Amino acid sequence: MKISVKWLGDYVALPPSVDELARKLTAAGLEIEGLERPSEGLRGVVVAQIKESVQHPNADKLSVTQVDIGGTALLQVVCGAKNYKVGDKVPLATVGTKLPNGVDIKQAALRGVDSFGMLCSSKELGLSEESSGLLILSPDAKPGTPIAEALGLDDVVLEVNVTPNRPDALSHLGVAREVGVVTGAALKVPQPKPAESGTPAAERVKVRVDAPDRCPRYVARVVENVTIKPSPQWMQDRLKACGVRAINNVVDVTNYVNLEYGQPLHAFDLDKLGGQEIVVRLAQKGEKLTTLDGKERTLDPDDLVIADGKRAQALAGVMGGGDSEVTPGTTRLVLESANFVGSGVRRTAKRHVLHTEASHRFERGADLDAVVPAIDRAAQFIAELSGGTVAPGRVDVYPAPKPQRKVTLRFARVEKVLGVTVAEPEVRRILAALGFKAVEEGTGQVTYEVPRARVDVEREEDLLEEVARVYGYDNIPARLPRGLPELAPEPAHAEAERRMRHALAGAGLDEVVNYSFVAPKNLEVLGGKEQPVALLNPLSAEQSVMRTSLLPGLLENLSRSVRHQVESVSIYETGRAYFRDPEGGQGQRPAAREVPRVGGLVWGLRGGGRSWTQKDAKADFYDAKGALESVLGALRVDGATFTPGEHPAYHPRACAQVKTADGVLLGHVGELHPRVVKALGLPEGVFAFELDTEPLYAAARLVPEYHPLPRFPAVLRDLAVVVPVELPNDEVRRVILEVGKPLVEDASVFDVYTGKPIPEGQKNLAYALRYRAPERTLTDVEVNEAHQRIVDEVKQRLGAALRA
Amino acid sequence: MRDRLLALAEAARREISVASELPVVEALRVRYLGKKGELSGVLGGMGKLPPEERRALGEVANTVKAELEKLLAEAVKRAEDAALEAQLKGPGLDVTLPGRTVPPGSRHPVSRTMEDIVRTFSRLGFDVASGPEIELDYFNFEALNLPKDHPARDMQDTFYVDEASLGHAKKADSPVLLRTHTSPVQVRYMLNRKPPIRAVMPGRVYRRDSDITHTPMFHQVEGLLVDKDVTFAELKGSLDAFVKAFFGSSTRTRFRPSFFPFTEPSAEVDISCTSCGGKGCRVCKQTGWLEVLGSGMVHPNVFTSAGYDPNEVTGYAFGMGVERIAMLRYRIDDLRMMFENDARFLEQF
Repeated sequence: MKISVKWLGDYVALPPSVDELARKLTAAGLEIEGLERPSEGLRGVVVAQIKESVQHPNADKLSVTQVDIGGTALLQVVCGAKNYKVGDKVPLATVGTKLPNGVDIKQAALRGVDSFGMLCSSKELGLSEESSGLLILSPDAKPGTPIAEALGLDDVVLEVNVTPNRPDALSHLGVAREVGVVTGAALKVPQPKPAESGTPAAERVKVRVDAPDRCPRYVARVVENVTIKPSPQWMQDRLKACGVRAINNVVDVTNYVNLEYGQPLHAFDLDKLGGQEIVVRLAQKGEKLTTLDGKERTLDPDDLVIADGKRAQALAGVMGGGDSEVTPGTTRLVLESANFVGSGVRRTAKRHVLHTEASHRFERGADLDAVVPAIDRAAQFIAELSGGTVAPGRVDVYPAPKPQRKVTLRFARVEKVLGVTVAEPEVRRILAALGFKAVEEGTGQVTYEVPRARVDVEREEDLLEEVARVYGYDNIPARLPRGLPELAPEPAHAEAERRMRHALAGAGLDEVVNYSFVAPKNLEVLGGKEQPVALLNPLSAEQSVMRTSLLPGLLENLSRSVRHQVESVSIYETGRAYFRDPEGGQGQRPAAREVPRVGGLVWGLRGGGRSWTQKDAKADFYDAKGALESVLGALRVDGATFTPGEHPAYHPRACAQVKTADGVLLGHVGELHPRVVKALGLPEGVFAFELDTEPLYAAARLVPEYHPLPRFPAVLRDLAVVVPVELPNDEVRRVILEVGKPLVEDASVFDVYTGKPIPEGQKNLAYALRYRAPERTLTDVEVNEAHQRIVDEVKQRLGAALRA
Repeated sequence: MRDRLLALAEAARREISVASELPVVEALRVRYLGKKGELSGVLGGMGKLPPEERRALGEVANTVKAELEKLLAEAVKRAEDAALEAQLKGPGLDVTLPGRTVPPGSRHPVSRTMEDIVRTFSRLGFDVASGPEIELDYFNFEALNLPKDHPARDMQDTFYVDEASLGHAKKADSPVLLRTHTSPVQVRYMLNRKPPIRAVMPGRVYRRDSDITHTPMFHQVEGLLVDKDVTFAELKGSLDAFVKAFFGSSTRTRFRPSFFPFTEPSAEVDISCTSCGGKGCRVCKQTGWLEVLGSGMVHPNVFTSAGYDPNEVTGYAFGMGVERIAMLRYRIDDLRMMFENDARFLEQF
């Protein structure tokens, strides 16, 4: 909300500097977000009257003028404009001025003639985008007056961030009250008393409220014999400072009084109201109304309207209608000052996407006690400014006067909640200055009547906040909370997640963070069968459903990097995938199933880019699997298995499912399916993975158990077998370990070879076997026997050939 | 015989002293001291000598043998040293070639900042909790003192979920939306526990807003402390301590009255500008202050939603935007970078 400092000064004495005012208001909760000082760029510019103008002797397009700026002598100024006549008053930028457009005004000789300043256009003063020639000022302007003053720009405008709970501060009087509270200055509230004459208002217009639950009070006044014309300059200046366009002396007054009291007003042309009657009612289904913005609106039965005997004339509390608008020919007015219930106004404003100064105030809650003074103030102004006569009396429909709210404050609660002792007299002073009236004294407590403007104050805590903000948050001490809670063990998953992140970083994967919503087609491409949770009002189709996999985001990141000529991408993300839960949304049960996951991918050159240590080696399946193995290792998830898997996102020949030793499926790792690669325009050779982290963390053994070191030496033997290429390593290894029990401690594959001299369709696998007995040193004979047994079994069970 | 022995010793001495390579030294050892070497050859005839001469000659022979062994050992050492010397003199490695490494992956600045915020509060004894992102209107708004048609709901533009897509067997208790803040976790957390409570709740939140300074998804860390006798002074103390621990001990805080429906009294917390220290610069728009936190004393209505008696306990709550803090910390000037995940951005962290 924009607040004119000049205007504010009408009601309360202001601190000497605007900065101090701003600081004090901010400290009390009315945050001053900005200060506009339109006069700032106009320092040094004054009103000048052109007394003489002659042709420049050396330049056709220039004139030499003599101007009066209130001093004893005239000033000589060379000027290029032609749109003035001698006697006009224009702005002069005196020597030493820096104009808003950056021009420094210096004394200069223009084509041999001295010039002491520059006569200015409105564009040069930064007052308009375009201008032709000098800005011609009002003939009333006094030569020598600073231009800011002459143009009514010598004001400072405060940009106040009024929080939604403080509609009382959406007016100059409301802000003035706050100023008074924080500075101790007295508040001067206008006491309007319009002079009344002629036929009583009640005989001119009838008011009926059919929906009192939506309109607790409706007050009308009638003003006759008005002449519509522009409002006076001072009023226009103030409206302009607050960002409101001047229209005419009636509309301007309603806007002015709204900005003054925070009470929205409306003026109808009485002669355009059918039946000279006002009915406040709900709209009929399909009823039409053309609002002041020229739009025809189809009304909803939940919309409250101001109607005449026949049809809707205004959207109550939101915007008036075109049919009863005040026009230059208007002579008789009905003024409306009413109170509408916020929630209803809010629904209507939202429904019609119509946010107005009026709806803004009613939604937040207008002051029931401002209804009458505001309409009196407006009637008085209109009578003064339009020559109108105010009909005697108000038509006031207020069927159920609202009792004033009462709230009790226990003084002990001040310290209990704020943590500081505020002396009782100070508490009383603060609340009294804010307009709270002590109506009942008790032991250690007092009951206050809450001003109706303070719709936000409903309970004791609200009073405590009033005390705190005026007392000053700065004056409340800062203390650490006492005592420590019981030290519960850290949730296991926190440590597991940390280790996983370290492992992934160690494997060279950068962490990414992607949006949780994706394009449905990007999930379909991956073969997701689940129906995703969809947004009702997404920003775009690209972000319209909740992801059921982390892969779409990761693949998009890959695309982006490829576009930027990155040679190597290794990334991961932790986050949730979202699924339907048919039982969800009841009680505390979440509406959907949210599954924490880790997903990642590798593509391109291994090790982050080209390197002399490995000649352009491209990352493959085993890099992705290796990253997962690092994670499993870091978490000590023992006995996890990778077995050939099926997943629509992955290549059927290069996909593994990952399970814990207990057989719980963690997820998949694999090469992206060629169809996915093609559909998303990705490069080939993308290897990705995605695991559920909950079962992963559950399988983690974060505190390992120590095993004593072996006391006897191991015997190492190699074993090489030639097997069909499709025979998995794990099967060979299982046979070795099974047959070699209990002497074979470990068998690790150290070479995989295809090609000559190995026959087509076969591969050579070489294993390093470690034999050991826990209680003695093995003899060669024992080992040879065991090794031979393994060789025989491998041959027999797997049809393997042995290589020397 | 004695003369032959001495002559042999003399010749050997001469040859050994100039030998500089191991094979040469070895050959000399074989030639002079080997089983079939010259020394053995000379001594071969000793058996025929009378015992006295034999003894005297024996003494000489032993001396010669010991001397030659010593000289040979020295020669071996000399040769080895020379060989090593030669080896050390060769061309050096190119130590400027990069080492063999897997470049470590980076941590996303938002996730790192969030973890660091959580860790800082855990030093003050705060537990960590989480809650659903697809949330019910009830927990996101109503239980937090934000009834329907309340204008404060405008502060947070909401994504709603198409309920048909949720496949619920029974209509949800209240409309389903993407949580607009982490505050609903407060309510869920309190519902399942008894005071005293200290917890932070990090997570993703969503608002229907997208421009230069807003992304439709961002992260918050919510904090909640409930106990007997918690006052605004503890709120100030805790947040001031956090700010100093996180941004540096010279950072100052400023508490300004503000409004959040779920706290009363409420405060915005500004910190002295991390860029200029409070003198005024572009980052703080010349004010010297940066708004980083919202906070306040838990509203009695929120306690009531959680089944607590507002006369028995008091508490404070706070919330902060992680992206904002990460931007200040790493001096990132464009919010949108955070979710573009450009490799050239990520590798800087």
